[in-house]
Amino acid sequence: MWVREELMYQIPSKGLSVWRLYGFFKTLLIAIVLGVVCFLTYKFAWPMFIFYIAIAVIFIFAFATIWLFPKIRWDHWRYEVREHEIEIQYGLFIIKRTLIPMVRVQHVDTSQGPILKKYDLSNISISTAATTHIIPMLVTGEADSLRSRISILARVAEDDV
Amino acid sequence: MMSEQRFKLHPISAVVDFVKGLKELILPFLILFMANGFKVTFNPSDRSSWASLIPLGIFLLIIIIRLISGFLKWWTYVYWFEENELRVEYGLIVKKKRYIPFDRIQSFNYKEGIFHRLFGLVQVMVETAGNSNGKPEVILTAITKEAANQIEWITRNSKEEKIDHTQQDVSEVLVNSSLDSKEIHKMSIKDLLILATTSSSMGVVIAGVAAILSQFAEFIPFELIFEELSSFIKFGFVIVALAIFVTLIVTWIVAVIITFFNYYDFKVIEENERLTITRGLLEKKKVTLPLNRIQAIKIVENPLRQMFGYTAVIVESASGGFGGDEKKVTLFPLIKKKDVLEPLQKLFPQFEWQQSLTKPPKKAKPFFYRIDLLWLLPAIVFCSYFWFPYGLLAILILLPVLLLGLWQYKSAGFAISGHQLTFCYRIFSRVTFIVEKKRIQALECRHTYFQKRKGIKTVKVTVMSGVTGATAKVPNLENRDVESIKKWFEKASS
Repeated sequence: MWVREELMYQIPSKGLSVWRLYGFFKTLLIAIVLGVVCFLTYKFAWPMFIFYIAIAVIFIFAFATIWLFPKIRWDHWRYEVREHEIEIQYGLFIIKRTLIPMVRVQHVDTSQGPILKKYDLSNISISTAATTHIIPMLVTGEADSLRSRISILARVAEDDV
Repeated sequence: MMSEQRFKLHPISAVVDFVKGLKELILPFLILFMANGFKVTFNPSDRSSWASLIPLGIFLLIIIIRLISGFLKWWTYVYWFEENELRVEYGLIVKKKRYIPFDRIQSFNYKEGIFHRLFGLVQVMVETAGNSNGKPEVILTAITKEAANQIEWITRNSKEEKIDHTQQDVSEVLVNSSLDSKEIHKMSIKDLLILATTSSSMGVVIAGVAAILSQFAEFIPFELIFEELSSFIKFGFVIVALAIFVTLIVTWIVAVIITFFNYYDFKVIEENERLTITRGLLEKKKVTLPLNRIQAIKIVENPLRQMFGYTAVIVESASGGFGGDEKKVTLFPLIKKKDVLEPLQKLFPQFEWQQSLTKPPKKAKPFFYRIDLLWLLPAIVFCSYFWFPYGLLAILILLPVLLLGLWQYKSAGFAISGHQLTFCYRIFSRVTFIVEKKRIQALECRHTYFQKRKGIKTVKVTVMSGVTGATAKVPNLENRDVESIKKWFEKASS
């Protein structure tokens, strides 16, 4: 039987740090909201268990979004750009693997927010007529060369057909 | 031949635009007045009454602005033909211009509302190949039917001229096209009645009727009726049964009326590689759909219709549809299952319609119901705990969920033959999804940790349709089979 091996490329480990940073910001946001709740509990003498729940939620949330989820996500992320198709694998609990033929690719974009810029990373998004697929957290230079490579391959593929 | 005469829309288009704007305003208007409790009283001596008039004033202002803008749009709107392009211009302060080459025009769709029909007018929507934002490129709100024919004739004629330079006579073209047209499908009154009776919108209508009845409940003198009835009917449940029966009848009548409005005189005609679908009672709609723009075909059997041997056919199209962002076109709203193959074969000779499906393996069976059962567990525990003796009845809900899961398992499967992929799956209705390899935009397979342990995967394909595309998904197939689909798809590009 024809066996399919793991895809070749992974997200750079800097990407993991950025995901952790995102997780930190999310936790901060939740912490602020829960902080307000705690303050109100203190002020109006609401039952004590609200404190405990709030603290537990913050810790669980921090653990999940800063440590666990980015790690799992990073472990699962794989991609490969071949001559005739692009294949990506991603997912947290459900591992998804998507195959996009080069012929279907309509355009490729790279994008970069302020945090990504600081880390010299870029997201690359591949659009077909119906779907958009994003490969996140690539080193900017690599993302740019990948983008031009995909656009060339896509053009060649169209000529073939 | 190319005239540079500029054409205007019919004045009624200002009214149509205005009424359309009003329809959008109805909901916020109602919400606002519900919130105010309908307290619109004007009393000059009372100062606070002025404040209650402010929302009314704002609405009046908006309505007046709408009226003026509708009028201005009509006043400034012109279209004409120049250099093989359909050119449209409108706007007083900001001029909007849109030039569409005739080649890029895919199809014309028509809509006739009540206003249109009073004056023999029609709304024309120009569909092009490139528009993926779900909106027609140009909408001519109201023009006479002759003008609409003229547009279609001019654009088409220039195309024909390009193909062969021989001058074709107008009448000849018309004769040719009328010879080519074949009626594919038509719905009788009986079909419409069955469609209404088995439509899933019945459920929605039931909810609506129940809501309305509950609103009117306080006005109906139930006590009086009950007293009088109970004098000769001793059993309360007869009244309940009667109420349910009346609700059902009302629901059915409403569903029939809605269906008649939407699907009256439903006809599918094939002509020069194009499908023309007309429908509607008060508001007539006509859609043309080039056959080569069709991306995938879906045969949908809802359980009720499946029981009576009926099915519906929907096509996913890259352009077309009844305007708006609705890119699904219902080809046959209701057709006998044994009659469906013949017209489909005629329309799409490239497909094979009857195939033996590869089913999910036996070991995948629990995956179809166990997650749903797991989700339900907390709810059942909750019910049982809080409404102790009767709450336990919630356990009964497990049975239909289990049966639905098993039914989904039985319905699922796929088949590959040549360039054709067939997916069968059931969420509630059974769907047979048929697509050509070249129409598939992306293929995705996915598995959870538990699926991986059992060696099964879920596979999903996406085709172009509207903005987000349309997807079909067969759950829990054998790994080996999923790999074979992938391999088949990879060869597409090489």
